[in-house]
Amino acid sequence: MPVFADRDQLYRVLGAFFETLPDGPHGPLIHRVGGPILFVFHRPEARILWEPLAGGPPEFAVHYDTEQPEPLLRFEQDADLAHRFWQGDLDLQDALARQQIRARGPLARAMKLIPQLDPVYGAYRAFLQADGAAPA
Amino acid sequence: MVGLRHARAVVLREYGEPVCIERLSLLPPGPGEVLVRIAASGVCHTDLHVATGDLPLPLPMVLGHEGAGVVEAVGEGVTTPAVGQRVVVSWMPSCGECFWCRGGRPDLCERAAHAAARGILPGGGTRWRDAGGEPVHQFSAAGTMAEAAVVPAACALPLPGDMPATSAALLGCSVLTGTGAALRTGRVQPGERVAVFGAGGVGLQAIQGARIAGASQIIAIDRLPERRDLAMRLGATDVVDPLDADPVVAVVDLTEGRGADCTIEAVGTPETIAAAFNAARRGGRSVVVGVCPPEVDVAINAFALPSQGKTLTGCWYGESDPARDLPQLVEHYRAGRLLLDELVTRRFPLEEAQAAFAAMMAGQVARAILVP
Ligand SMILES: NC(=O)c1ccc[n+]([C@@H]2O[C@H](COP(=O)([O-])OP(=O)(O)OC[C@H]3O[C@@H](n4cnc5c(N)ncnc54)[C@H](O)[C@@H]3O)[C@@H](O)[C@H]2O)c1
Ligand SMILES: [Zn+2]
Ligand SMILES: [Zn+2]
Repeated sequence: MPVFADRDQLYRVLGAFFETLPDGPHGPLIHRVGGPILFVFHRPEARILWEPLAGGPPEFAVHYDTEQPEPLLRFEQDADLAHRFWQGDLDLQDALARQQIRARGPLARAMKLIPQLDPVYGAYRAFLQADGAAPA
Repeated sequence: MVGLRHARAVVLREYGEPVCIERLSLLPPGPGEVLVRIAASGVCHTDLHVATGDLPLPLPMVLGHEGAGVVEAVGEGVTTPAVGQRVVVSWMPSCGECFWCRGGRPDLCERAAHAAARGILPGGGTRWRDAGGEPVHQFSAAGTMAEAAVVPAACALPLPGDMPATSAALLGCSVLTGTGAALRTGRVQPGERVAVFGAGGVGLQAIQGARIAGASQIIAIDRLPERRDLAMRLGATDVVDPLDADPVVAVVDLTEGRGADCTIEAVGTPETIAAAFNAARRGGRSVVVGVCPPEVDVAINAFALPSQGKTLTGCWYGESDPARDLPQLVEHYRAGRLLLDELVTRRFPLEEAQAAFAAMMAGQVARAILVP
């Protein structure tokens, strides 16, 4: 069974976690990627867009189900895999090579972020521990 | 002297149209050919690819390439098989003389490929004529969905023992193809982990091949529950529903995060071919058996080639030399290692060829069998 039973649950968990980022310490880093970042999820089908905002914090807005035609970066993956990624349990290079994550756009700009994501993974794990947040 | 014979056959007149049953004339076998009375013919997805035009071949054409029967007459110069001999029909009329045949790869034979693409016998033309006297092609020098077929003598492989014709027919394509993909092309070694994408007629035999090779883990990926159940009965240790989970993630998770030593693709879509490649471990092998339409490309990650060092390959007919490999498969069958009788759950008369295709697509059968 997929980790997230449906789109609503994905938004309630991963989406809610994303919404903690624009005001947090990593907001500016994400802002500096320099354009909208779209996450396309499968099983369940869902879409979340990070849109940079001027004069933050908040550094970016989190949109759901958006049809942004040309984001700067697009990451397509199984929701299960995204759940693992944000917990720090995924070898990104291996996942890209296996096409478990399909990336479009100037990936280098996002890859610069990766070494600095460790605290974010910890934050997602802590977020999941919090009451009611963990998927079934 | 053998005279003109008539036989009913499953004929494809137009891509995408239902097949029809026609009473055709069959000329006597030419030099080096034999006339086989067909007792059973399996329905392979490749026949359906021809019928839909995904594998475009000259029409009209008698379909079928997985048959067994009895030799009814032999052409000039044929010493073996003899009249009355039970045979399995091979769909690889290799010449024994070309670069590939001499190099031990009759599965890549130039003459066989030439004949298959033209829907003719290696000796030129076919012996089929329709009611108007026009020639009718035959699939892969076999055309076994009929009451009889004229095939190259070398493609009528003597069938030892008394195995039922319906089980013997399976040897003609799915068994040689599936087991060969595991044993020869995939070189599955004892203790290895194998993932098979598509547990249909061919994939189920790849599963049996992997089990015979001594694989310690066999993961079957199929979207039909019936096929996943069959996979477990034939030797799969794990099954994955691709609608439930990304099959690549599932296979990697089931193999201690590495991926399978060998993956076999037996569906025939660019997505499943890429998935099978992606589900192999670094340094592993991936074998494509599934057939895609001629215009289809597959996208794989370029960085994966150097960084994962896998071998991506494919094969016709399980890289078989049917004359060499058939007796061994019969041995496996006799010893109870190769299950065939239990796969024949439904027989269809020739008239129901279209229903047999539907049963295959719905996964109602491991292999639909036409019995003329
Ligand atoms: N290379 C060769 O020599 C050779 C020989 C025979 C058949 N083939 C090809 O092998 C393929 C399989 O043939 P078959 O006769 O076993 O067909 P089949 O219809 O019996 O089996 C195909 C199986 O794939 C499953 N499937 C379909 N889509 C899937 C998906 N996305 N993920 C997982 N499973 C999926 C189906 O449920 C079915 O069980 C066909 O393309 C056929 O043309 C190749
Ligand atoms: Zn076949
Ligand atoms: Zn040859």
